[in-house]
Amino acid sequence: MSLSSTPAEPRGTDTGPRPARPARHWWRGRSEIFVGLLTIGIGLFLGEQTLTMHVPDNSASPGPQFFPSVVAVLMVVLGTALAVQVIRRPAPEPESGLADTETRAHDQAGAVGELVDGERPPAGAPATHSDWRTVGIVIGSVALFALLLQPVGWLLSGALLFFGVAWAFGDKRRPVFEAGVALVYSSVVQLAFVAGLGLKLPAGILGGVL
Amino acid sequence: METLGLLGGGFAAALTPENLLWALVGVVLGTAVGVLPGLGSAMAVALLLPVTFKLDPTGAFIMFTAVYYGGLFGDSTTSILMNTPGNSSAIATAIEGHKMALKGRASQALATSAIGAFIGAVVSTAVVAFFSNVIIDIALRFGPAEYFALAVFAFLATSAVVAQSMVRGLIALSIGLSLAMVGIDSQSGAARFTLGIPSLFEGVSIITVTVGLLALGEVLHVASRVHRGGSGTTELLRTTGTPWLSGRDLKRAVPAWIRGLGFGLPFGAVPAGGSEIPTFLAYGTERKLSQLRARRGKRPDEFGEGAIEGVAAPETAASATAGTAMGALLGLGLPTSATAAIMLAAFQQYGMQPGPLLFERNADLVWALLASLFIGSVMLLILNLPFAPLWAKLLLIPRRYLYAGITGFAVLGVYASSYSVIELWLLILLGLLGFMMRRYSIPVAPVLIAVILGPLAETELRRALAIGQGDVGALFSGPITIGIYTVILAAVALVAVARMRSARRSRAQAEAEAAEKTEVAG
Repeated sequence: MSLSSTPAEPRGTDTGPRPARPARHWWRGRSEIFVGLLTIGIGLFLGEQTLTMHVPDNSASPGPQFFPSVVAVLMVVLGTALAVQVIRRPAPEPESGLADTETRAHDQAGAVGELVDGERPPAGAPATHSDWRTVGIVIGSVALFALLLQPVGWLLSGALLFFGVAWAFGDKRRPVFEAGVALVYSSVVQLAFVAGLGLKLPAGILGGVL
Repeated sequence: METLGLLGGGFAAALTPENLLWALVGVVLGTAVGVLPGLGSAMAVALLLPVTFKLDPTGAFIMFTAVYYGGLFGDSTTSILMNTPGNSSAIATAIEGHKMALKGRASQALATSAIGAFIGAVVSTAVVAFFSNVIIDIALRFGPAEYFALAVFAFLATSAVVAQSMVRGLIALSIGLSLAMVGIDSQSGAARFTLGIPSLFEGVSIITVTVGLLALGEVLHVASRVHRGGSGTTELLRTTGTPWLSGRDLKRAVPAWIRGLGFGLPFGAVPAGGSEIPTFLAYGTERKLSQLRARRGKRPDEFGEGAIEGVAAPETAASATAGTAMGALLGLGLPTSATAAIMLAAFQQYGMQPGPLLFERNADLVWALLASLFIGSVMLLILNLPFAPLWAKLLLIPRRYLYAGITGFAVLGVYASSYSVIELWLLILLGLLGFMMRRYSIPVAPVLIAVILGPLAETELRRALAIGQGDVGALFSGPITIGIYTVILAAVALVAVARMRSARRSRAQAEAEAAEKTEVAG
């Protein structure tokens, strides 16, 4: 993984236009604080749910609340530790090529990179901001699939999902051809898994035809 | 002798046309996901699990293990030809392997890695087959306290010791444990963290977790970077000449293959999150040995210019972990890598519990599986030795179709395993989680291990405490538990010392650089 070196913008500016190269903001390289806060949040949620849990009277002495409380405390502590770590040492800028390569090598080699004083593995593409537009189209396609699957059926909703993801990833010049590929995909899956392996997929509006 | 008889029966079962077909499908799929960067056997098995639950369990497990072995064969091809490791287990191979290819010895590098992977797979499978009695004997001595210690070992080894950052590894672990706790508590019947949603009473489906984190998370991660360029397409080197190794090459490769086994075999049985560690250890050892030889004036140090040992040892080590990992999974019920963890989930789907009893209750399946691993290894050698450059052509598949296909498979599997649209919404949430973890380099393997071993750890902990009547000392009684905890402490201490040392070194380096800069400026 090469992402520790990704300085990301704070949430909320995901879609809005922003200057091409903003001055170094305090949040740059510190967006991971969000992960720490999320961890603390999950920990607090677990704690609250554990305290208010309805426990059946017959349960043995280390009951159902014991393990969750340990995990809840652990998550609050770990989330705080991560947030403090990120505040003290933000992720480096992507421009600093050397630092980037080093982090990447450590990411891949893990602790072993420190134990074995070997050569650095090759570096891949430079890290950049996340492309929320493409991610959004992919998530939107999956969400649309979840909404359409039962009423419309696998054949069309599956093809639409394939089309949406392929669209997000690239080639936007030949929509008709891409739609054809998507339909072939969903038909092949229908044949192989429904007819071949016996999975049950909703037929939807094409139910009468199939 | 008894083992040979059982293995013979296994071969008879594995050589049926149907099971041969599943093995072939598995090795082809495994090699393909191994070759393609970003995809791995863990994702492949996670995607296959829900669509194969109608199969006979023996056929399904033959296919899953064939995928696991195939991934370790295929990953080196693009490492050598393009300097793009197909998987993290082939990073070490890329270093010397690509240098060999640049010098026109691509065929030899590919042959060295394929034969090395074959040796690793066959020897480790044989070790498991012939020492299964020993594994079972040890496993039968395990009580609740021992199983809890083993789970703690697996948790800490994958999260705190192996991961790049201890905090991030432990966060991954605790996320996995919280996912595992959702649902009705099996011992007391209390509903935990279900928010009153009926479909959560049975817990979050392991299929949704694995598919979301491994498949959809990876798709989103690639989507977030695909239009940001920078990924300069590396050139695919051509292979020329015969793939056969000369006598001189063999003389250097054979000892390295054997040393690679020495690293791979023990590490496969240790829950260290896969095969990266032994490959780096094997690589580092070969490098040191080469320097030593050069100093004694025997042979110049070729490391950095395409040394064949640098390909042979890591590949054998990576592949050798697969066999012993299967041994730990079948005999102890201990998953030592992400793929093994998903296979453990698969056993649970079929209502089987890996462990010593599996060899008694499902002996047919176990021995057919072990026999098919030998057959699969031979298939893989045939598929990879002459055809490796052909496999590299898989990279010509347009990325948009590849990831669209994976997304389609992900939703198909999740829906088909539950017939519930709610699981699809959960899938999106877990995919976002997987994306976030990749973005901030939080390791995924600890989540999977925790989700799958978490319920076992909790049950055994509560059972051990109940037996000891609340006495915490009950967890540390007996030589096995004390031994396991000692190993954990030693490993954590070793890594802590290594981290501190490397931090001090990099700080000293930074200071030296800063001093240099001021000098230049002055």
